[in-house]
Amino acid sequence: MKNFGVIAAILLAAILLSGCWDQRELGEITVVTGIAVDKGENDSYILTVEAINATELNNRTASGFAPSIIYSAEGNSIAELIYRVNEGISRHLIYSHMRTLIIGEELAKEGIIDFIDFLERNREIRDDFNILIARDSKGSDVLKVTYQFQKSTSLKLHTQLDTMMKDWGGDPGVRMNDVITAWTARGRQPVMAAVRIKGDPEAGANTENMMKVTPDALVVLDSLAIFNGDKLVGFLTLEDSRNYLWIQDKINKTSITVKCSESRYMGIRVYDTKTKIKGKLENGKADIHIKIRAEAYIEGAYCKDQFVKVKTYEENGKIAEKQVNEKVAETIKKVQQEYGTDIFGFGEVVLRQDYQNFNKVEKNWDEKFAEADIHVDTSLNIRRTGIRTKSFLKEVK
Amino acid sequence: MSILKSLLKMRKKKEYPVQVEEAAVAGPDLKNLNLEQLKEKIIAEFGSTIDLSIDELKTEGKDALLVYLTTMIDTKSLKETILQSISGQKEGFHLSTEDDLKSLCKEKFGGAGYQLVETFDEIIISLLYGNIIILFKDMEKALSLSMAIGEDRSITEPSTQTVIRGPKDGFVESITTNVSLLRRRIKNRNLRFERFIIGSETNTTVYIGYMDGIANEKIVEEVRKRLGKIKVNAIFESGNIEELIADKAATPFPLALNSERPDAVASNLLEGKIAILIDGTPFVLVVPAVLVDFFSIAEDYYQNFMMGSFLRIIRYVSFMIALITPSLYVGILTFHHELLPTPLLLGIIAQREGVPFPAVIEVILMEVTFEILREAGVRMPRAVGQTVSIVGALVIGQAAAEAGIISNIMVIIVAITAIANFVSPTYSFAAAARLLRFLLIIVSSILGLYGVLIVLVFIVAHLSSLRSFGIPYLSPVAPFIIEQQKDVFFRFPIWSMRKRPAYLKTQNPEKFPKTGSPSPPPMKGDQPN
Repeated sequence: MKNFGVIAAILLAAILLSGCWDQRELGEITVVTGIAVDKGENDSYILTVEAINATELNNRTASGFAPSIIYSAEGNSIAELIYRVNEGISRHLIYSHMRTLIIGEELAKEGIIDFIDFLERNREIRDDFNILIARDSKGSDVLKVTYQFQKSTSLKLHTQLDTMMKDWGGDPGVRMNDVITAWTARGRQPVMAAVRIKGDPEAGANTENMMKVTPDALVVLDSLAIFNGDKLVGFLTLEDSRNYLWIQDKINKTSITVKCSESRYMGIRVYDTKTKIKGKLENGKADIHIKIRAEAYIEGAYCKDQFVKVKTYEENGKIAEKQVNEKVAETIKKVQQEYGTDIFGFGEVVLRQDYQNFNKVEKNWDEKFAEADIHVDTSLNIRRTGIRTKSFLKEVK
Repeated sequence: MSILKSLLKMRKKKEYPVQVEEAAVAGPDLKNLNLEQLKEKIIAEFGSTIDLSIDELKTEGKDALLVYLTTMIDTKSLKETILQSISGQKEGFHLSTEDDLKSLCKEKFGGAGYQLVETFDEIIISLLYGNIIILFKDMEKALSLSMAIGEDRSITEPSTQTVIRGPKDGFVESITTNVSLLRRRIKNRNLRFERFIIGSETNTTVYIGYMDGIANEKIVEEVRKRLGKIKVNAIFESGNIEELIADKAATPFPLALNSERPDAVASNLLEGKIAILIDGTPFVLVVPAVLVDFFSIAEDYYQNFMMGSFLRIIRYVSFMIALITPSLYVGILTFHHELLPTPLLLGIIAQREGVPFPAVIEVILMEVTFEILREAGVRMPRAVGQTVSIVGALVIGQAAAEAGIISNIMVIIVAITAIANFVSPTYSFAAAARLLRFLLIIVSSILGLYGVLIVLVFIVAHLSSLRSFGIPYLSPVAPFIIEQQKDVFFRFPIWSMRKRPAYLKTQNPEKFPKTGSPSPPPMKGDQPN
């Protein structure tokens, strides 16, 4: 019985003295769903947090106030700033639900790797939030824009990018861990999605913006930001962004418009696709073969052909194949010539498939990439034509 | 033959340590007392109780005393049968020796369950069991005849452990009726019952029942031993016995199964378990009990095996829900906000906006309120029962949430916990979850989910330390017996469950020969000829 007392005392001490240290009642916290980092005026960074007013996000309790509060603080380390923002916000901020990190263009051009370390090290912050570049504006302005459905921009962007990637493929689907992988991997440079404010940023930071059918300001997915190391070097169009995904074998579904004859087009929906890349170094020159296999169905066609014969399917498939080949090659060429940074990860492919040779050129791989021979070979099969075989267009009087 | 007899005698001695005969050894013998003295002594024993009746009569040319407790016997049949058969004298017959008495009894009460008693204490106990005693002058033995009153509650549907499909009869308070219910289910000569008298002041009849040739003899012996050790003064319910024969007292988990259903007890007997029936209660104990017994009910075997398996899994899930939901709520809301999807977290925050209490106080408040309501619902007079449920529903739900004392989600948590707790087929097992829930809530409020996990680990460790009559409580899961897995989380088709539980080490481990699954006769076209 004496022993029992001792054990009980130890257990109680262990539980009571060590417990509760990270306890936070729901009434004491505010959820942060997005942060933005911009270049500071005096110090290195300005951190802006979007802290959600949960009552406003719930339809039953909402009363028309602002859905979130946005507050900025300036300093030299993000690690300090995430607590400094409490100079203006009453409750503990919890960062575990952070969905988006928006980086101002100006800062991105100077390099971002310093503060990313904090985000990756912190025990609370996840590593799978969206990481975005605010093109032509400050990150904090993007956060301020309100939206009808999710109300807060960070939540909206998270959903929007996901939907976009699944339906069409404009978002590269890059989360923070992807960026870090790209930085640490041999033979790959990171990319990020870039967003832009369409409209007036001032008007966007107002609850009235949520009440309009055509909002005064809207955050739209704009382009693909490409990096050399941790520095932003340029932007590619959304079309290129889709082609980037195609090369990365990350396309879920997409739609392409194919020109079937002069001023006549057909829309086809690609629903199943697979990309394989082969790469090696020949006489010091990289030789990359990209093989894309895709299945598609017709979604809209005002071409003259009726899809009744196998041959027609094959012919139109060939046209589409050719177009995909051209567009994908074009994108790669653009990156090769203008930026010379291997965002596609061809270096990784060569590393795996031609290890000895890659080791020799690793130091100046980006140069090798810029002059690499790229061959794109697409095989696209049109399998179905929606719920119509013959178009009514032929029968129109 | 004689060896067998002596063996039987030896066994009997060992088996019935508290039988009537032995308990009464201390009393004075009848031969030393005459009728007058006996009468005085009986009156002295019972004092001034109003229901003692001592009549003098003369039968077979001998003075005799007829003694009984008027409240314990059936006076109508006393008059009709006994008095008629003992009055009057047979020609040329003189009751003088013990053999005379025996032959008289054989002639007049043969088949009526008479007994010859010889000590004074035996007489007293016989009277208390509702027997009538006839004392003859100058005889060393007295005649004891069972004449107990037959007023009992009729057999009704059990109020606990109800089923949709299955027999609707339940045990009653009378032990003989209960035995007959079992005998009617198992028409087998190997079904044995043994009698014990337990309780120094209540002298309660307790039977143990088992299948000879199936039940493990060692376990039966252990049951006899433990029942024999009981020295308490009163036994009113199977719960008293359960507590006194348990392997371990300090546990919230029941170590014996209790059932009101004859079919459930019968099927357990055939598995090789032992039933303990107690006079005066409809709850029959079944030992040894293992954890999985508390999740399987007789109805599992009466419906489709897929449905039976599904419902059984639901029961396991419900037990876990009843056990850990409130502590998960506390743990996640105070420590692990990141575990919830963002919209759900924001929804909960919005609902809890303005709730003045921390989550743990909120949970304890509501759980205690619910336990109070539940207790009130059970204890209060039937007539006002409805009031409580209305007030309770209002207090626990709407009003408290609307007043802002608790959040709406808390109402859902309490409700799901309560409903899940009611799923448990055995009340005593559900009680374990009810108690441990509070421990989990408190630890969770200090250590979060880490604390919940620690307590769960302790519970599992505790469960694996438990034994029921020497059988590990977690068998057949730990120790693992592959054959028995057919009847743990799933209920396999009956034709495939041919083995009795191996952990019981039954004398006859196989229930029936291998038959394979039922199938239709081959079609004409399929036949080779």
